[in-house]
Amino acid sequence: MIDRDRTLVLLLAGGVGSRLNILVKTRAKPAVPFAGIYRIIDFSLSNVMNSGLVQVGVLTQYKPLSLMRHIGGGEAWDFTGRTRGVKILPPRTGAKDSDWYKGTADAVRQNIDFIKANPSREVVLLSGDHIYQMDFDDMISHHRQKEADITIGMMVVPKEQIHQFGAGIANEEGRIIEWEEKPPEPKTDLASMGIYIFNTDYLLRILEENREETDFGMHIIPRAIEQDRVYAYPFRGYWRDVGTIQAYWEANMDILKGDSPISPEAWHIRPNPEPGANMADRPPARFAAGCKVAGSLISAGCHIEGEVVNSVLSPGVRVEAGAVVKDSILFPDCVIKKDAVVDYAILDKRVQVGEGSHIGKGDKAAIENKQYPKHLFTGISLLGKEAEVPDSVSVGRNCIVSPYTKAADFQSGNVESGETVGSE
Amino acid sequence: MVMKLKPATLAMILAGGRVDELNVLTYYRPKSAVPFGGFSRIIDFPLSNLMHSGLDQVAILSQYRSFSLINHIGMGAAWDMIGRYRGVSILPPFKGSGSSNWYLGSADAVYQNLDFLQYHNPQEVLILSGDHVYKMDYREVIEYHRQKDADLTIAFLKVPREEAHRFGMAELDDEDGDVGGRVIHYEEKPTYPQSDWASVTVYCFRPETLYKVLEANAREGDSHEFGRDIIPRLLNEGKRVYGFKFDGYWGYTRTIEEYWQTSMDLLGPNPPIQLDDWGIRTNLDHRNINDCQPMKVGSEATIQDSLIYNGCVVEGEVHRSILFPGCHVRKGAVVEDSVLFFNNVVGPRSHLSKVISDVNTVFGGQVEIGGKAPCAEKKATVVGWNNHVPDSTVIGSGCTLYPTLPLEQWRPYIADGEVVR
Repeated sequence: MIDRDRTLVLLLAGGVGSRLNILVKTRAKPAVPFAGIYRIIDFSLSNVMNSGLVQVGVLTQYKPLSLMRHIGGGEAWDFTGRTRGVKILPPRTGAKDSDWYKGTADAVRQNIDFIKANPSREVVLLSGDHIYQMDFDDMISHHRQKEADITIGMMVVPKEQIHQFGAGIANEEGRIIEWEEKPPEPKTDLASMGIYIFNTDYLLRILEENREETDFGMHIIPRAIEQDRVYAYPFRGYWRDVGTIQAYWEANMDILKGDSPISPEAWHIRPNPEPGANMADRPPARFAAGCKVAGSLISAGCHIEGEVVNSVLSPGVRVEAGAVVKDSILFPDCVIKKDAVVDYAILDKRVQVGEGSHIGKGDKAAIENKQYPKHLFTGISLLGKEAEVPDSVSVGRNCIVSPYTKAADFQSGNVESGETVGSE
Repeated sequence: MVMKLKPATLAMILAGGRVDELNVLTYYRPKSAVPFGGFSRIIDFPLSNLMHSGLDQVAILSQYRSFSLINHIGMGAAWDMIGRYRGVSILPPFKGSGSSNWYLGSADAVYQNLDFLQYHNPQEVLILSGDHVYKMDYREVIEYHRQKDADLTIAFLKVPREEAHRFGMAELDDEDGDVGGRVIHYEEKPTYPQSDWASVTVYCFRPETLYKVLEANAREGDSHEFGRDIIPRLLNEGKRVYGFKFDGYWGYTRTIEEYWQTSMDLLGPNPPIQLDDWGIRTNLDHRNINDCQPMKVGSEATIQDSLIYNGCVVEGEVHRSILFPGCHVRKGAVVEDSVLFFNNVVGPRSHLSKVISDVNTVFGGQVEIGGKAPCAEKKATVVGWNNHVPDSTVIGSGCTLYPTLPLEQWRPYIADGEVVR
């Protein structure tokens, strides 16, 4: 039995996540909505709660308002009480270590006072932008059993994906003997999940000793592997870094499968029902006579008169008669007007698609987005927060409609595949 | 109206009653805690109305099986009723050195809590019933009450004369036209109704008048109900009793048929009950509704004219029905004209027609309930909670199945109108 009071959790939620393009225009990546009623960070926070850990610091930097509102006092994850708490730790100016966070290790270093103020045996370091279920309690047991200085959560991924991750080579007893950060040529299939356990004293010592090192993956971990006891904690299960539009879309679609590998409810993932989607103000989803809905996730407060196939609908989405939504993810309160079509698209909050308009028109293998070819190349189109698409226009594949675009911005009518509408 | 920090009006909700007509649905809970609308409880309607009316100091008088209700209300956070002068107090019966005892009637329930009222010292006391489905801005009633300098203002609804014998009926002079008028005559459940105005159990009292009349009733009365005793007594004394004319939707839930009909008023292209517009809130922590994921619709599902909340999985067919969180309709199953409370499971190829099923009931495979007769020509079958209906059971319409029936009580065929205990 672990003395849970003595493990502190630090959640890194500061990253920009720029590959999510306009979805992170107004919010940090961990605050991006997921699976209808959740935000990405709910998975990490709920895993922390379900592991029985009760002291959490959330390190924020980039567009933190939406994240701060979401976390609130932490009641949603039972982080309120005498020994419980969740604190937001933004960058601040100080006598010495001032300035913005320069990297993951720098962010933790700038919060050494928080770590010292909450005495602990270990620090669990998580990133707030992954979709998974994991028992950190078990990982802590593993860490103690191995008498490790650092334990890294690692999972097996296909070799062609390893270039996105920190990669580790472990010996027979699970000790990591070699490390490569985002290697172009993979030598292993063990990928770092960005989940670390540090002995607290050890963490404080290395952060003090090597003050020029600002990143765990790039600097601290490789050197620790050479000098100290670093172990791999093997993880077998569903885990996704939803850092790209395609990965984000696929993870959402994974929930729709009949034998879904991901189930927020079975995983005991809790959303915060009050801010954002305002779940508490939503009545049951209303299915009108004549509607057609299949293979979809429908949140409370939706009103469906048209057709919805293989899609994820957040609270308050309205699909009017004759409209079709297919292979798409719709954030809260989108309105798809009469006879409109939305195919293979992600619509941010309160997007309106006008009567008879067609989002996702043309061949899916169409030209990639001209402005962001590395973000949008699989056919998915993105419509930014509160964008208004006028009646009777078409928008092609790999298109971006910028947040807050007004109907008047669609001067030329139709938007060809690969184009971007509206100003950044 | 200038909103000051301390609310001028104290609201009390009468939530104690059981009402036998609701049968097995109120076996373990008071009527006000009966689930309604696919996610909420009946009491959420007056509570949400209070919240939207800015009346945040509320007492709930509860007596019968109040556990479910206490659980549901929690701290009142769901209705934003936590704060320095905002709060929900549950007032159960208590034993005292003197006269305290079980509540003998609605008026007695308030009388036994006079100390609570006097402690809060409000400008008005608003007394509501906890078991109606409606939207009302109580500020309009209070405004009218103040304008008339009334001792008591009662909200009335126009009802057809042939139904009037079931209500408290008043004759109003038309002092203020469509807004309201002075109550000339009032009779509880009259045999020969003389008017069209039925009380909807929304009373706004001048506190001193309320205290005096309750004390007099406690001394002299042998019955202790607002409708039967308090209103006639005030009229006899010549007090200023006014009627406020309400013209919105009013949903009753006193009998199974009323409950079913009011539930069906949630459906159709233009439902008279507009849950979104009414802003009905419930306590999402109760029964862990918060832990539900969005509902999952299977690839072969059909859903028509229905309300379904998060946590449901629909793989079969659902028509004109209301499904509370956690219901699962398996492949080939059909649910029509029905209301399924939390966590029901309908097994493969089962057919439920006009069924009201309480929480945690599992219908096995190929169960048939309600027969083939058109909906309008049959009565609803009511299934009590925590039942497991064996595979291939055939149950007629208008049946009553008691909660938690042991396995040996189940027979393969249960005829129309049967009661299984």
